[in-house]
Amino acid sequence: MLVSEIDMITPSSLPECLMQLSKEGRIHRLIAGGTDAAVRMKEGKWRPEIWINIKNLHELRYIEESEDCIYIGPLTTHTDIIHSPLLQRKADVLVDAAREVGATQMQNMGTIGGNIGTASPAGDTLPALYVLGARLELTSLSTKRIIPIEEFILGPGRTVLKENEMITKILIKPQKPNEIGIFQKLGPRKAQSISIVNVAISLTLDQDLKCREGKIAFGSVAPTIIRARKCESMLPLGTLNDELIRNIAKIAWKEVMPITDGRATATYRRDMASALLERGLYRLIRRWNNH
Amino acid sequence: MNTKWVGKRVKRIDGPEKVTGELKYMTDYHFDNMVWGKVLRSEYPHAKINSIDIEAAKNLPGVICVLTHKDIPGFNGFGIVVPDQPVLCSDVVRCTGDAVALVAAETLEIAEQALSLIKVDFEPLEVVADAEYALTDSAPKLHPDGNLHSHVKINNGNIEKAFEEADIIVENTFYSPRQMHAFIETEGGWGVMDDEGFLTIRCPGQYAYRDRMQIARSLAYNPERIRVISSPIGGAFGGKDEITVQIYLALLALHTKGRPVKIHLSREESVIAGIKRHPFKVQMKTAAKKDGTLLANQVKAIGDTGAYASLGGAVIALAIEHSCGPYKIPNVDLEGFCVYTNNGIAGAFRGFGVNQVCMGIETHMDMIAEKLGMDPIELRKKNVYHQGEVSSVGHIVKSSVGTYKTLETAENCDLWKNREKYKSEVSEPWKKRGVSVATSFHGIGMGIGLPDYGAASIELLPDGTFLVGVGCEEIGGGNSTAYAQIAAEMLNCDISNIKIVQGDTQKTLDGGTVTASRSTYTGGRAVAAAAPRMTELLIQTAAEMLNLDSSQIDLKPNHISAHGEIIPYKSIYKYLYDHHQATRVEGHFYLPKEKEEIKGSGGAPHHLYGYLTHVVMVEVDTLTGETEVLRVVSIPDAGRVINPQGLEGQTEGGAVMGIGYTLYEDVLIENGYHKTRNFTDYIIPTIRETPLIETFPVEEPEQSGPFGAKGIGEVVMIPIIAAIMSAIYDATGARICHLPATPERVFNALKDLKKQKVQSSR
Ligand SMILES: Cc1cc2nc3c(=O)[nH]c(=O)nc-3n(C[C@H](O)[C@H](O)[C@H](O)COP(=O)(O)OP(=O)(O)OC[C@H]3O[C@@H](n4cnc5c(N)ncnc54)[C@H](O)[C@@H]3O)c2cc1C
Repeated sequence: MLVSEIDMITPSSLPECLMQLSKEGRIHRLIAGGTDAAVRMKEGKWRPEIWINIKNLHELRYIEESEDCIYIGPLTTHTDIIHSPLLQRKADVLVDAAREVGATQMQNMGTIGGNIGTASPAGDTLPALYVLGARLELTSLSTKRIIPIEEFILGPGRTVLKENEMITKILIKPQKPNEIGIFQKLGPRKAQSISIVNVAISLTLDQDLKCREGKIAFGSVAPTIIRARKCESMLPLGTLNDELIRNIAKIAWKEVMPITDGRATATYRRDMASALLERGLYRLIRRWNNH
Repeated sequence: MNTKWVGKRVKRIDGPEKVTGELKYMTDYHFDNMVWGKVLRSEYPHAKINSIDIEAAKNLPGVICVLTHKDIPGFNGFGIVVPDQPVLCSDVVRCTGDAVALVAAETLEIAEQALSLIKVDFEPLEVVADAEYALTDSAPKLHPDGNLHSHVKINNGNIEKAFEEADIIVENTFYSPRQMHAFIETEGGWGVMDDEGFLTIRCPGQYAYRDRMQIARSLAYNPERIRVISSPIGGAFGGKDEITVQIYLALLALHTKGRPVKIHLSREESVIAGIKRHPFKVQMKTAAKKDGTLLANQVKAIGDTGAYASLGGAVIALAIEHSCGPYKIPNVDLEGFCVYTNNGIAGAFRGFGVNQVCMGIETHMDMIAEKLGMDPIELRKKNVYHQGEVSSVGHIVKSSVGTYKTLETAENCDLWKNREKYKSEVSEPWKKRGVSVATSFHGIGMGIGLPDYGAASIELLPDGTFLVGVGCEEIGGGNSTAYAQIAAEMLNCDISNIKIVQGDTQKTLDGGTVTASRSTYTGGRAVAAAAPRMTELLIQTAAEMLNLDSSQIDLKPNHISAHGEIIPYKSIYKYLYDHHQATRVEGHFYLPKEKEEIKGSGGAPHHLYGYLTHVVMVEVDTLTGETEVLRVVSIPDAGRVINPQGLEGQTEGGAVMGIGYTLYEDVLIENGYHKTRNFTDYIIPTIRETPLIETFPVEEPEQSGPFGAKGIGEVVMIPIIAAIMSAIYDATGARICHLPATPERVFNALKDLKKQKVQSSR
């Protein structure tokens, strides 16, 4: 498929979009902010017959809360997330992660739906969504299902999304007042870089710095995002002081199975899983104490 | 000296249109009847070509022509020093950047399709992936004379004896990366041939006249019938010194029936085909006495020039000339090898070999200072050569030398004086800070054996303003503003009355390259040589007009006055025009040179050098190995500063480029194939990696320069490399001798350090 042969249609409503998605016998793909799509089209990887351009479906761009659930529209940009007072209060780890996506330009154009849709092992919002227990609403013309994000992503670039479906909603559990999160990223530089390792942490803390429970998710160290269950199980073992933090971090490398590529060796990635968890927990405790 | 323009913060004359985006770069142009050119690159890093079949490509609708080596009317080769790079390969390919065929087509997409239809029967050959291996007998020969392109040597004194007598010896091996110029405007341009067979090539370059010569040689075409326009440029840094696409454009223009043809490399193609900085392996052994006096330096440097020479020989020669730093070391044994491999192509790049050796000698200076318990600035001050003294390579330095002053300024700057305080102010407990200093120098101009001249023209225009023409291109560094300042100063007029034209074989004289930190110095001197001729023309003409003696004529700001009468320059133009007299003058300048070449050195020494000292502070995250440069103090000796704002542009840009070289950048090539393919994996610093940069020039005026100026465009990125390396050591105790000092390398060095400590405590 040549780029010049690719068509683009721009549905003006969600039903129209779902209608377009339901058409069979052609290869189509959604395009939202296009920050992944344009790059992959240029590389020759994504060359559908038709782009379905959803950037103007404003009905899919929102951040709302109803009792015990936050709803985020897939067209919500990273910048929207960063500036949302609601998410700053009740999903700090996601705000943190959105801040680390590329730089301002990418944050203005790129959407959370696109970040999930690309399903890159290095996608920065994904570990945050994992620790926030995110679920996705997938809609087609005739069906609607809600599945946890862990079940949505199968591998690098592979998801359970069907040809005729799209993500129409992201549901997350709001953090309680005693919950606090943080996202840490190691890239080859501070801005516009692909994560070598990243980690999202969300903890429920008692007054005396004892952790009641916590979730830890690593990115870029396996084909998909990985929950660090062993580390998580150590979190409630005592007061989260420097020693406990070091001991938890020490075993993080056992939870990951990274590869060597041009950006880093597997050994370094393993070491960095520990390092980022250690650094993240230090910073998180400091943030907690400053509140 | 009392000046109105020179030495002042004059804003860039090309600033507004560049900042607003109004300026069109040459690759921005589109024409209705334009066609697209594309280059077929080699599939293999080293292979024999058995045959090339272009039939299918030619028959694709929309294809205008497909060209191979058979279609080259003249000489099938280019290269600034030795033209060993084929324009289009005929029998062998030596790197994946090698060009095999050219296509012109109605659209870019059709041109790309056509490339995929060209069938080349390649027979892969053994790949020479390593410069040291290339020098062994078992490596296949990439060129008829073997894989050693050049070998330079400088010897002085008695090195063995000196090492025997030394109190202290340090010895290390340093590895440096293959840096990419990473200009924002990739290589490109367009070519067109008119009905009369006159060829115009618009293509960013660093020496329009030499590009024209290389085009003419390949086309077997009269150079007078070719016009090359090479300015303005969206960045070059040496990467557009060599031919990029000019000859391809010219060849295609012969076949497009008068339609303009455009080539603009994609970033991916630029990464593979564009030249890079030479990766070096430098083995260095340095000796000193107890009191800190340097005794001896032994250097062996091997540079990987890739498949073709380009300026590799000159890069190695300059590296060796600078390998002892701006010091006087009596016993030296310096040797450099420039070696062919199948690793892309390396060539000119800001710093030109000095970056790679500076990291060695300056690291050694710090190691010696530490071992002797001496202050690193004291040690350097003790060993630097002064004007009139003999340098390490053995020549008397007659031009101005500012190193000592730059070191004194470093010693007294806030960052150095209060370094212990700043170092203690870490932002998080697991981070560590270090502060270090390094100094270096860089030759200005071509050195011995190459013609080195400047030329400028000044023309009086009908509206009474002046058109100043200088061959040297505006590469982004701001030389156009410097020329305008010098012209305005000497013509006693407002700078708005000066227009500048650069880089155009039809409109400017041949004034040499924009390289070797030479263009402000050389072009400026040429303007300064032309200006008195123009004032003389103005005065003589006014005298003639008024029937007065020229001594009765006064040159006032923007006009001439005589006996209370005011004569605007417009009237002078009209008079000259009416009387069919010339309105244009020229100025020419020969760069001063040393008389005697150091035997075997490949062009050393230079007559002139620019000097610079850097002080930097870094913060290392010991958990991850990330290094952040927090502060930079840049102390240049550029002679008299023509434009402080322009100088800061250079020191700031140079510092950031040096940070990139030291911490992030490397084009990775494995077995001849690029692992780094575009900016996703080639990490250059962004504004978030840009620290606070202060510039404190010391002005050591140079008699031969325009208003006492020297060149500074390259040394601004050099000492910072060694300074960052040493600051990492100061912060953590880990010495990194393999650049870039990526987080992974620093982390591993810290890990090794911990291991050593554990072992030694057992
Ligand atoms: C310079 C640069 C830097 C970057 N840096 C980072 C970074 O630091 N971290 C990071 O995580 N990413 C980064 N990215 C990748 C990208 O910006 C993000 O993944 C972004 O969130 C993608 O959003 P988008 O709207 O642009 O997606 P698009 O490119 O429009 O789409 C991406 C994919 O998602 C699918 N999709 C989009 N919306 C939906 C939907 N509603 N339902 C189902 N599928 C959908 C599309 O079909 C497509 O397959 C970077 C990209 C660039 C170019």
